[in-house]
Amino acid sequence: MKEMPATQDTGIDTAEIQRVLSRHKSQIKFCLAVCARCSMCAHSCFLYETRGQDPIYMPSHKMINSIGYLWKKRGKVTPRELQSIGDIVWKRCVLCMRCYCPLGVDIPFMIGLARRICREQDVYREYDRP
Amino acid sequence: MIKIKRKPFQEIVEAIQGYSNVLNVGCGGCASVCLGGGQKEVWILNEELEEYFRQQGQEKRFIAYTVERACNLDYVQELDGIAPQKAAVLVMACAAGTQLIAERYPDTPVYPAVNTVAIGVDRDIGLYEERCRACGECVIGYTGGICPVTRCAKGLFNGPCGGTNQGMCEVDDTIPCAWQEIFERLKRQNRLQDVMKIRPAMQWRNQTQRTVIQMGYEERYMQQE
Repeated sequence: MKEMPATQDTGIDTAEIQRVLSRHKSQIKFCLAVCARCSMCAHSCFLYETRGQDPIYMPSHKMINSIGYLWKKRGKVTPRELQSIGDIVWKRCVLCMRCYCPLGVDIPFMIGLARRICREQDVYREYDRP
Repeated sequence: MIKIKRKPFQEIVEAIQGYSNVLNVGCGGCASVCLGGGQKEVWILNEELEEYFRQQGQEKRFIAYTVERACNLDYVQELDGIAPQKAAVLVMACAAGTQLIAERYPDTPVYPAVNTVAIGVDRDIGLYEERCRACGECVIGYTGGICPVTRCAKGLFNGPCGGTNQGMCEVDDTIPCAWQEIFERLKRQNRLQDVMKIRPAMQWRNQTQRTVIQMGYEERYMQQE
């Protein structure tokens, strides 16, 4: 993941994160409240299936620990926490959009939202770095 | 994935020099992976353009925005509140994504900042090899996994041309003869009979625009007669 250069301001624009969260408040609240941890999404995720069914690859886990975490913390995250969220939404998800939820949670949208928040804080995947 | 490469800087300058505020759109998909048009590359280009025009005594504003996938409207529509307000849009996604953006914002001039070069494989960081030209008539199952359209200078489908010299191509002697490689691969797999069947000439369907309706989705999109 791209690391914030030492010469740049490493502060997070919490207000901006909160603006994005607020814009999608209803959908975020719905998705987080409705998720029953049924794990049906897990079996629709090829990364989960091919990574030894490691729970960290479950779409619900990814959603809860990315956008869910941002929501729970009201956007007040540290750069390190944002890097971790970036690792989840880029290294554990390719946005193939195959994840299925019987309750109608739009997991790809939630992952995409987390990526959007990360991008706006200059956190994104760099493909020429490990 | 699709491989793109940034256009020469002067070409980009000429395209947008008449506009005072420009949105530069990056793509989080293929363009990012091949290090040609992702968020970092957008930032770098914007810095270069601002510096260039500043030295010319022109103040221009370059805004950056990277969508996850420029070829998908779900992501492109994130630009709805930004693109129409800009004098022009520069796009660092492949031509497919650039065209989708141009289609979405028909009143705003849209310019590609990159050339779409190939469908290719990653050999190393920053090093990519073309492997496919999307001809739509894939025969690599019969040629040992080696594409005669991409790898043979003459696009031959039924064996070498006779110009093979020491295993190299007569059109360009720095590249291997694809059919020599096909022969060796098939011989290794004991499948030489696969190239004994004469295949029909390539129809070059990739010279006209195509639409793909995936298997299982026919009912959704095709009109019933």
